[in-house]
Order: sequence, then structure tokens, then C-alpha cells
Amino acid sequence: MTSLTTFYLSRLLGCNIYDARDNVLGRIHDVYVRIYTPLDENQENRPHVTGFLIRVNGESKEAVLEDFQIVKFGTHYKVQCQGVTIVSHEKFSDAVLLKETILDQQIVDINGRKLVRVNDIRMVVIPAGTFVVAVDVGIEGLLRRLGVNNFFKKILKPFGGKIPSKFILWDDVETIEPNTLNIRLSQSRSKLNTIHPSDLADIIEDMSKNYQASIFSSLDEEHAADVLEELRVKEQVHIIESLPLGKAADVLEKMPANEAADLMDHLEDDKTEQLLLEMEPETSEEVRDLLEYPDGTIGSRMTSDVLTFSPDQTIADVLEYIQEERPEMESLYSLFVVDGSNVLKGTFTMRDLLITEATTPLDKVMNINLNRVNDYDKLDSISEIVSKYNLLAVPVTNDNDELEGMVVIDDVVDELISKRRSL
Amino acid sequence: MTIKKVTNNKFLKRIGLFLAILGPGIITGSVDNDAGGITTYSVAGAMYGYNLIWTLIPSFFVLLVVQEMNARMGIVTGKGLATLIRENAGVKITFFIFLGLLLADIGNTTTEFAGVAGSLEVFGISKYISVPLVGFIVWILVVKGTYTVAERIFLIFSVSLLTYVVSAILGHPHWSEIGHAIVMPQVHANGATITMILGLIGTTIAPWMQFYMQSSVIEKKLKISQYNYVLADIIIGCIGTVVVAFFIMVACASTLHGNHVIINEAKDAAMALKPLAGEFSSQLFAFGLFIASIFSATILPLATAFYVCEAFGFDAGIDKKWNEAQEFYILYTIIIILSVGIILLPKAPLIGISIWSQVINAILLPVVLICMILLVNKKKIMGKHVNKPIINIIGWSTVVVLIGLSLMLLGSSFI
Repeated sequence: MTSLTTFYLSRLLGCNIYDARDNVLGRIHDVYVRIYTPLDENQENRPHVTGFLIRVNGESKEAVLEDFQIVKFGTHYKVQCQGVTIVSHEKFSDAVLLKETILDQQIVDINGRKLVRVNDIRMVVIPAGTFVVAVDVGIEGLLRRLGVNNFFKKILKPFGGKIPSKFILWDDVETIEPNTLNIRLSQSRSKLNTIHPSDLADIIEDMSKNYQASIFSSLDEEHAADVLEELRVKEQVHIIESLPLGKAADVLEKMPANEAADLMDHLEDDKTEQLLLEMEPETSEEVRDLLEYPDGTIGSRMTSDVLTFSPDQTIADVLEYIQEERPEMESLYSLFVVDGSNVLKGTFTMRDLLITEATTPLDKVMNINLNRVNDYDKLDSISEIVSKYNLLAVPVTNDNDELEGMVVIDDVVDELISKRRSL
Repeated sequence: MTIKKVTNNKFLKRIGLFLAILGPGIITGSVDNDAGGITTYSVAGAMYGYNLIWTLIPSFFVLLVVQEMNARMGIVTGKGLATLIRENAGVKITFFIFLGLLLADIGNTTTEFAGVAGSLEVFGISKYISVPLVGFIVWILVVKGTYTVAERIFLIFSVSLLTYVVSAILGHPHWSEIGHAIVMPQVHANGATITMILGLIGTTIAPWMQFYMQSSVIEKKLKISQYNYVLADIIIGCIGTVVVAFFIMVACASTLHGNHVIINEAKDAAMALKPLAGEFSSQLFAFGLFIASIFSATILPLATAFYVCEAFGFDAGIDKKWNEAQEFYILYTIIIILSVGIILLPKAPLIGISIWSQVINAILLPVVLICMILLVNKKKIMGKHVNKPIINIIGWSTVVVLIGLSLMLLGSSFI
């Protein structure tokens, strides 16, 4: 008979609980853990076992076990303790049940950047308490649950074969179950914020829809906006519809206006209107303008986030402005010079900024051969200009030559590729 | 988006919405009448005449109730049935369900390829050419990821299942006798009859279809507010299934049964129809069989591999590349190779495989149904959308009847 320092959750579940005199006090049904992700990196941040859900005479009860120990004798396991204290449900209001909310559920493998299913949970007993250290997502875990792991091990041993096993440390996973998230969000920042937006978007697309919105709420607004941009339309619509109005508006504000407009084009009209009212007036005005363009026109794809300067401003003025405002990369693809009534006079590039004397006024630098498109032109017309002049962004003007925005190559590339594919 | 601008008319808008939602029920319905189904209906028609047609009536209601539960679960939870079973019933039950499902589906896929072989033999093409070729095409369709296009083409082709209506009418059925047989069927309850009835139910309501239905509802990201459209879709699908099944049974019963022709395969039915109802009828029958077989031979192995992977946490899906979802593609490939291989064996016991895989289905069905009814009644999972009492009554009675029939079958094989 040996007392174990590490064990699997699957061994613990269903075990009888014995006191020192070998009386059966009940049976382990589930385990309460408190999950925290403290901001301090050095702190212990593994889920800590705080109690158990036990079955006593056919009834489920919340309990705390004193001097809890899991012991193995032969091929059997049992739980030994000094005593069982039945406690009220409230004691565990900030804890989650391991079997119910984590075992057999999907979690995010942060390093592998994908969803995995938890086959078993590895736990450790140290003087400070009992903790979860890793989740088992391999075939070995499945076989252990089926009770045939040792059998297969014996068969494979003479051949030097091994059952593939795969563990992921708790630090490298994030739960997605809405209940666990709600409990934890008050105290921590989701590890998901460390995943690249496009990877996270792929993960979210794989999730069942009820989890998508709650995962989304756990992200920072900036990150959330980036992820939303990367999602497919179906998921975008679903998430915006399931988020509370205020939160949805906040996220949409953080998105480029053209992306937000594209998304809102797929929502119901009432919803769009509500969101526009909820958003900051400045952003919503921009989105509203873009929404007015019919589908398939340049205007429906352009961004109105453009940086404009007057002809008499200098390179130094521009640099100072950019350093202060820290615009998105996209806005820097092309820079514009306009007169007092917003009529487009010329364009200049980041290269111009880097190689020109700081005191030079913009009208000496700018390119006055304007390759531009009209906001009501068909979207197809842009591909020619982009490829012929090697542009990253094309200015969009209206019939009065006033600058309305620009079309960035990233935003039309999908369109152009899909057009080619369908031919 | 364009729809939004055109349809200010409420009625048009509704129709548009319905057409967008349409699909899961109808596809499931047409996959339902696959090669195994056509074989079972043909054999039942030839052997029992009109006497087993009545089984289609209870089948219809059970089919409807079961698919409605699947659709509702899919909409409310957004999770596949495999996932729900795994998350709520644990590894052991999941393992036994999916082991059964895997075996039954390998048998079923074999039947689909038998259907391909048989139908093309009617047109004079050897199975040693047709089966490997079709197997390869089906495999490449999925691995190269043009499956969604294929699915749409098949769906259009599935209209050709209506050829069975023509086949049936060409056989000059006796409508009054059919009516009489539905109300007062004359059957003896022996082992053979029970196997036949189990087979009929098993083919009409196959367990893998429950998984398929639920996934396609999820794939469409449907909302509970669209429930009525979903229900309409399911009803149309179920009616389609039963109508086609009815005409296949009638076609075989009115020609083959009267002339005491004994058949073992759907192909035999097509062949036997030639002298009795004309060459056209025979070829129509074979064509319907071919389309149904190839459609199901594509969907079935794919679906099976997908649910097994879903349940055990392997990456799966045709939008993933081979090395992203190895287990999925390997399993899929194995199912196809096994099924094609069995057909190419010179003395393959095809009839046995066909009937018995339907029977395994019928035995597996109550297990899946019990899981489903338990899940759909859980407040924690379904919230306020748990089952209404009437649906529970139909569901549980189905389970009881199926278990009863299975036990009777077991009993009769020992006596």
C-alpha cells in the first residue's frame, strides 16, 4: 500500500472514502478546484483542490476532506482521510467542478493553437495542497478511462511499442467553458490574449457557437477587434448578435470603419441602427457613410481612415503627427495631400518620409500623377490600377475630386482571388 | 446582402429565409434512401408483397420526432451529438456507441459500393472496373476538398429518386390491395419477418443519420427563432423519404411478389423488372440505385470518420489538410478501402452484409436514442427547450419497441 503523490483524476473519481478505522464515509463524485491566474508570474497558478462533491447514501454533498490521501493497493485505489466535513454549497461559489467542467470538454492548447479534448487530468499532492498540473489529451488517457491501458501496455511491451501519450501543462491551456470563464474573469486576464488574432479566429471558428461569445468577452477590446476582423462572416454576425449591445459597439469601434461596415451589412437593419447609435458619434458617422455605398462598388470596400495634410506642411510636421497619433499600419500605406476643401492634390509614401529633408514642404515631395478611383466605380476596376502601378493603396475620390478614403490592397485581395477562382 | 435590398416584401423575405435554411432535413432524407435502403425495401416488397408497407407509417413519425430532437439540440447547444454524448456520458459509453457505429457503417458503406456495382452491372459495366473507380473518385473528392460542390450536385441528382414513382406505376400496382394491406397486413411473426421489420426500421432511421442531421444544423448556424423553418425542412425530408420507400416497395411488390420472383439484391430487382415491367422501368430503377449509392458512399464514410474523431477529440473536417487531421483522413481512407475490398472479393456475402448491417443499426439505434432523449431532457443543456411530454412518449415507445423486436430476434434465432 503506497500513498501517491501524483495521480489521475480518472483514478480518483468513484473511489470510496475511508476514515482511519477503514469505515466507508462516501464516494468521490467530483472535485472542486479554484482556478486563478494571478498577474504575478512567479506565483503558484495551478488549480487548487478546495473540496469534493461526494455521494453519501445516494445523495450528493459538498464536502471538505481532512488530510486527504489517495492510496494504491494492488490495482485498486482508495481515498483515505481523517474526517469528512459536509459544507454548504456557497463555500464553493468561486470554484469549478473538474469532472463536470473540464474532463471530456474542449480546452484551448495555447502553444498548439488549437482545441483539444481533455481525456484525463494529472494531479499532484504536495504539502501546500493538491493541484492540477497537466491535462492528458493523448490516446493513453482514453485507454486509461476505458480501463484497458495496462492491458495494452503489457501486449506492446515485448515489441518495444508504446501507447502515444500527450500531456499539456496547465500553464499552456485555457478553459472555454462559459461557467469557468465567468468565475475567473473577475480576477484574471485570459491567456488567449497571447494568441495571434488569426490563430485565435481559427480556434473560435471550431468552437460550438454558445462558447464563441463568452470567449470573446474574455478578450481585451483591442484583441477582440483584431480577432473579429479575422473571423468568417457567419461567426462575426453570430458574435455581434450575442454580445451585449454596449460591448459589441465598443469592439466595432476598435475595428477599421470599412471592416465594421462590411460586418454590419450582414446584420439586420434594426440591429445595425442600434449599434450605430451606441457607438461614438465620430466612428458611427464614418461607418454610416460607408454603409450607404451599394455592394460591389469601391466605396463599399474603402477605408476612410486616411491621413491627410496640407501642401504647405513639412515632412517634420508629418513625422511629428504620426508619432503622436500612432496610426495603424494600413493608414500609412499611402499618405495624402489635400487643399482646404479636401480636394486631392497629391500623394506621398513612407519612403518619401524617410529619405527627404525634414524641412521640405509636402508640395515639393508629393506625387501629382494621381491614380485614383471614383467611389461609385465597380470594385473590379481597381485590380488593374493596383497591379499596373504597384500600389499598396489607391485613393478614392468623389465626382468633385474630394478625397473620400482609400482602398487598401489587403481588403481587395480576397475579392480578386475569389473572382479568379470562380472562373 | 442583395436579398436584403430586393425583398421588402415580407412574403418573399420568408421564402428567401426558408430556402436559405432548407437542406439538412432534405439531404438527410435523401441519404436515407441509400443502396441499403433500396435493397431492403425491394426485398421486403418482393418477399412480403404489400404486407410490410404499413411499417412506413410508424417509421415516418419516429423519423420526424428523432430528427426534430436532433435539430433542436443542434440549434440550442451548437454542439454535435458525438460531442454531447462524450461530454455527458463519459468515455466508456461513447466508446461502445462509436465502435458499433463504426462497424455498422463499414457494413453500410460496403452496401453502397454493392449498389454502385449492381446498378452499373445492369448497364453492362463490370464491378471490377466500376467499384475501384467510384471508390477512388469518392476518396479524391473529399481529400482534395471539392466535397461541398459534390454535395450540391448530388442533392440535385437526388430528385432522380423520384424515378421510383415511375418504376412503380409501370408495374401496374393494385391500389385497393395496397390500401387493404396497409390497414390489415397479413404477416406471420417469425424470425425472418422480425429481421425484415428490424431491417426496414434500421434503414429508415439509421443511427449515423442522427449525428449527420445535428451537424448539418450546426453547420448552418441556425437560430431558435428559425425553428419553424427547420421543422418544415425536416417534415419535407421525412415525407420524401417515406414516399420514395413506399414506391420502391410497391414497384417490387406488384411485379416481383405476384410472379414469385425471389430477389436478394436491389440489382436483382432491377433485372427482374425487365421482363415484367419493361426495359425502361428496369433502367430507371438501376439509375436511381446508382445515384443513391454514390451519394451515400460519399457521405457515409466521411460522416463516420468525422463523428468518431469528434467524440475522441481528434481534429476532423474536410476544411483541414491531411497533416492537420491525420486520424480523420486515415480513418476515412480505411473505411473506403475496406468497403471497396469486400465488394471485390469473388464470393462476397453481400446480402448478408447488407441485411445484417441494417440489423446492427436497429440494435444500435435504441442506445443512441436513449442517450439523445436523456440529453434533450437535461435542463442544464437545453434550458427551456427540453422535450415536450408527447415527444418523450413517442421517443421512449420507439426505444421499447426496438429493444423488444431485437430481443425477439435474438430469441427466435435460438429456438
